[in-house]
Amino acid sequence: MTAVQPTAMMSGRYQRAFTVAVVFLVAGWHLAGAGGQLLHNRAAYGSFAFQGAMWLVMALAITAGSVLVLRGAPGWRPAWAVALIALAASTAAAAASPDGQMLAVNWAWGSAGWIGVLVLFRRRFSELALFLAAEALATLGVLAWDGLNRAELAGFLAVLAWSTGAQVAVAAGVRALDVAAGHAAAAARSEHAARERAATAEIIAAARHARWLALQESAVPLIAELAVGTADPGDTQVRIRCAVQAARLRRLMAEGDQVPGSLVHELHASADVAERRGIAVEIETAGPLPQVPGPARRVITDAAITILTAARSQARITLAAVTAGIAVSFVTDTGAVVHLPAAGEGVAIQQQQDGGMFWAEARWNSL
Amino acid sequence: MEQPVTVAIIEDHPVVAEGVASWIRSDPGQRVRLVQTARDLTGLSGVPGPSADVIILDLELSGELVTAQIPGLVAAGYRVVAFSGHSDPEIVMETLDNGAHAYVSKEEGRDHLVEAVLAAAADRPYVTRSQARAILADQRPARPALSEQERQALLLWFQGMSKASVGRRMSISENTVRQYISRARAKYAATGRPAPSKDALLTRAIEDGVIRPGEITPYRSFASAAADPSLGAPGQ
Repeated sequence: MTAVQPTAMMSGRYQRAFTVAVVFLVAGWHLAGAGGQLLHNRAAYGSFAFQGAMWLVMALAITAGSVLVLRGAPGWRPAWAVALIALAASTAAAAASPDGQMLAVNWAWGSAGWIGVLVLFRRRFSELALFLAAEALATLGVLAWDGLNRAELAGFLAVLAWSTGAQVAVAAGVRALDVAAGHAAAAARSEHAARERAATAEIIAAARHARWLALQESAVPLIAELAVGTADPGDTQVRIRCAVQAARLRRLMAEGDQVPGSLVHELHASADVAERRGIAVEIETAGPLPQVPGPARRVITDAAITILTAARSQARITLAAVTAGIAVSFVTDTGAVVHLPAAGEGVAIQQQQDGGMFWAEARWNSL
Repeated sequence: MEQPVTVAIIEDHPVVAEGVASWIRSDPGQRVRLVQTARDLTGLSGVPGPSADVIILDLELSGELVTAQIPGLVAAGYRVVAFSGHSDPEIVMETLDNGAHAYVSKEEGRDHLVEAVLAAAADRPYVTRSQARAILADQRPARPALSEQERQALLLWFQGMSKASVGRRMSISENTVRQYISRARAKYAATGRPAPSKDALLTRAIEDGVIRPGEITPYRSFASAAADPSLGAPGQ
């Protein structure tokens, strides 16, 4: 979870910034570019009111389109609805322009194209190409209807090249930036993962060092006592001390492959407390163990702590891979019935008291 | 009274050899007699024929694993009980595959070593918890198929229950628990590298009714083992 979040956040942040830039570009073009041309040529139109109305329709389309893209990637229906409104309004505006002057006074073609870029630039590139082609054909159709001459065709091609070229370039550029943001985020993720690995290794090394230091205070004096003869191996207390220290040494040697957050690690931590009370705890695993989710791990370690608290002198904890899950068992000399905490989170707990020996098994099932 | 089983200890640490000798001495029935202690395997050569019924072999001698020496010892007529500080399932499996009779980790020594030696001398299966662990962890494609009951008995035994408790848990007799665990062990004797010790174990298991010939997964034919000139008559 922690490894993925920063990546998605970072990549998402960049993408949103690119979207905002496109919104400003399109709105700015419509306001200053198209709006300016409309006002400048206001006397040339048959009905300035109709042209103004179409300009407002397209302004509303830009507003709707901006809301859509700022909320996230729009589906094809809303995206194309906005695009088709822009296509219809721009074609109507072009058709209502005076014959023979259409290209000179046309403000709508460019805006329609930019609206297409706004709502379609994160969809398949062919959709944007289709829209821009439809927009260009509609404009050409209006020109042909009015009677197309060579000069007008040349003018059409010049505007097409300039305006559509710019729109395609912007859409392609933003997509390239999206890809770059993805790469940057992936690089950040691998750096983050490396940092996390290093931090993990540090935590493990520190924990191991702490245990090694603890051995200096517990195992070393015991060995010294045995060597000089002040501790008698025939004494039960000395034997229990030896058993506890042996269990600790074994654990220290077995801990090469553990990571914080794993069930084995947490059980070791639970066992530490019991060992300080003089309980000899051994932990063994069988088979490749599955990852157990956090809430289920808590149920298992809660049971472990309760059982280890009731243990008198020794406990054996095993983790075994079973079909679709893991079986964690505890065998210990409690001498009395242990009241276990509630099961749940996919963990079923069974127990059996047999003379002085207590057995319990917490079984987590992934299904 | 029966003749005691003779045993040799191959162990490079004198203090460990001394500990094993003391376990053998403290057996109430004096069922095992220590005839030789050596610090390496060269101590065994020069004696024609096996000098002891069973060898207790430390798997790591002078810092080197000697699992590869087991087939030679088995071919020479010894029964081998591995006694090791290692408990990695891979090493346990390799040791058994090479023909060792049982695997006893150093933690299990006090409770299991003498019994494992006696079982080996009689060619009967003996499964320690570390062996049960290795069987449960076995992921190899050619592993023998165990029944649900055999697997459950092995799991509870590995977890640390006594065989009587396993029986109560599974609502079966302690004897049936032994039967399940022994059958799982016998199935392993039928797989992998051929060895006279494995054939002896299987023959005995069939005689004892632990396993029926039909339950043995035929990963190798008995014909190939019978063609082995080192194979003597299966021991009684």
